[in-house]
Amino acid sequence: MRRALRVVPALIVTVAALLAMAWGSTAPLRVATADDAILRVSLGARPERIEVCREQSDEELARLAPQMRQRVICEGRTAQYRLQVHRNGQLIHSQIVRGGGLRQDRQLYVSRDLQVPPGAGSFAVHLARIDTVAQIEDARDDDDDEDDAAPGEAIIPGRAAREVDERRRRREEAVPATLGLDISVTLAPRDVLLVSYDAEGRRLIARRADGSPQPP
Amino acid sequence: MAAPARSLERFALRALTIADSAFNRLYGWRYNPLYQSGTLVTALLLVLLITGLWLIFFYRVGTPYESVAGITANPWSGNWVRGVHRYASDLAIVAIVVHAVRMFAQGRSWGPRTLAWMSGVILLVLVFITGWTGYVMVWDVFGEVLAREGARMLDTLPILSEPVSRAFTGERPVPSVFFFMNLFAHVGIPLGMFIVLLLHTSRLARPALLPPRPMLWTLVGALIALALVRPVVMAPEADPLRIPASVPADWFYAFWLPLSRSLDGGAALTGAVLTFLVVLLLPIATRRRGADAPPKSVVDEAICTGCRQCSLDCPYEAITMLPRTDGRADEVARVNPDLCVSCGICAGSCAPMGVGPPGRTGRDQLARVRAFIGRPERQPGELVVICCERGAAGFQRDLENEGAIVYPVDCAGSLHTSVIELLVRSGSAGVLTLACPPRDCWNREGPRWLNERVYHDREAELQARVDRTRVKIAFANASEPGAAQSALRQFQAQLHSAGALTPESTVALDLECDPVPASAEE
Repeated sequence: MRRALRVVPALIVTVAALLAMAWGSTAPLRVATADDAILRVSLGARPERIEVCREQSDEELARLAPQMRQRVICEGRTAQYRLQVHRNGQLIHSQIVRGGGLRQDRQLYVSRDLQVPPGAGSFAVHLARIDTVAQIEDARDDDDDEDDAAPGEAIIPGRAAREVDERRRRREEAVPATLGLDISVTLAPRDVLLVSYDAEGRRLIARRADGSPQPP
Repeated sequence: MAAPARSLERFALRALTIADSAFNRLYGWRYNPLYQSGTLVTALLLVLLITGLWLIFFYRVGTPYESVAGITANPWSGNWVRGVHRYASDLAIVAIVVHAVRMFAQGRSWGPRTLAWMSGVILLVLVFITGWTGYVMVWDVFGEVLAREGARMLDTLPILSEPVSRAFTGERPVPSVFFFMNLFAHVGIPLGMFIVLLLHTSRLARPALLPPRPMLWTLVGALIALALVRPVVMAPEADPLRIPASVPADWFYAFWLPLSRSLDGGAALTGAVLTFLVVLLLPIATRRRGADAPPKSVVDEAICTGCRQCSLDCPYEAITMLPRTDGRADEVARVNPDLCVSCGICAGSCAPMGVGPPGRTGRDQLARVRAFIGRPERQPGELVVICCERGAAGFQRDLENEGAIVYPVDCAGSLHTSVIELLVRSGSAGVLTLACPPRDCWNREGPRWLNERVYHDREAELQARVDRTRVKIAFANASEPGAAQSALRQFQAQLHSAGALTPESTVALDLECDPVPASAEE
């Protein structure tokens, strides 16, 4: 009996500690610091390239290994852009967007949550290229004449044409020099309005949890 | 940095001693969970492994939330298993922290124990990461908060071209490959943890990996009971385009979230890395240098008989036996100073007194006890209490008020039994040794070896000629004066009932107790 009585305090403490632990395992954590809504800008797009291209001479190509013989070589970097977000005409966010990666030669990526007051508001999201991109003259764009084939053509037929196609494809996939989205919405507290880039339509689109608003 | 770290060490020791005492009163020293914190962690990791293996059969990376909801909805083989898994993971964090504080407070984090400390800190981080991935696996609102916070920190590193956060913006569904990688980490990291655990205990002889069986099964039963009484419920599914006001969070894994969320991602990551580094490198600040450094054990090769007992008893595998080079046939003990923590256990295990830290060998102990016996104020028939300096020696006045004489030693485990014999046979009514509770011994196995030497004829044993009714071993930690006094009173009563209050007659102690007679030394 005495031993049983000695167990009681240990039992009480153990049960209390376990219940406290169970409570700590599911205690509420306040996520939203305020009742603000969120304007989330999340973009991923290929930037334009600022580059100088030149044709290599036959002598230069001849010095290269056959698989390295590329008629047109381009050197440069990706363009920089400015992202600006206005709410009711007032600038609420501005940032320079550069290519991703250590060498900034990858896609542009933006992932930014902006707290905005709930209620009706008009938003303007604009992405504009800062750098001046010279029109890239590609003498071979319309000239797939195999007569000009590089020495490597004999080993890799049609290579020059593919290089041209590839450069064209990259230019076409690049984000336009300016992108803009103007939208008026009513946001409830803790609503999220997502602004992202539609690569197929090459435009900015907005979306909410319920699917609205539709792209303008 | 050393001074604040040492102050923190002292403060932690005071707090720990008080907590130990409270838990000893509640659970007794055998089942004190604070003493068993390290073994509890291993037990909990096993519980997590077993329940996790079961749950993984039902988890689907393509439909994470739905599959976990399915598990949770199954009352027979799902919900309570998930509950046990979750609560075991919470308790593991508590046990690891208690274990780390204990090692830090007792100065068991530096010197040869640095490897154990560092691997322990890495284990804690791995447990955190595993818990993190576990909650993200569920993909409820809490999992989403954890995922977004981790992504926010990772995005500050310039190595990833695409921000990880973009996976959770709601732009597109979170790819299944993310959940696959998460599951892979949640399973793979614990497997790696068992390897780190081996490293963690690699410098220990006979590491205690599991708590006593009654405690182990009580733990399992308590977790199951808790999972049934407080079943795990599903939080709402993650939706990146809706911000909940609050989420049900596991604070054992999310205690840092409020601070982290108030900081920039880079600052939060830097803070986390710095915290990790400070804790990891704490031994640099707390280690004892110069004159403060405890002396390593040394072997007197002329005395060593090659009996191997010190090598067997050393709790840190710091002593190896090597062939002799002086022409004698036996082996000789050799102490590896890189592994020796200066616990002195070897001094108690060496019958001929040939090994131990300088100043604390069996011979040094004999010289000291002779001086104690020879002090002018000594009364025949007094009761001597041998106390660990880190334990019951703190209650010297209380014990002396009870009529005993206190004889402090640095560790009862390093006590040579000749000291007890000399005290008994020099006219003491009895000798009570108050050791630290076995699981609380700073030198791991001190009370265990002492007990075996006194009562079970372990090598360097207390000689049979010593009257065992005059000898007793009891346990009390540094904040249990009541336990110490109670043990003393019981011993006094035992002596009284045995009629042993009259001291033994004087014997030729020098001949009987000194293992190497003076003539042999010459």
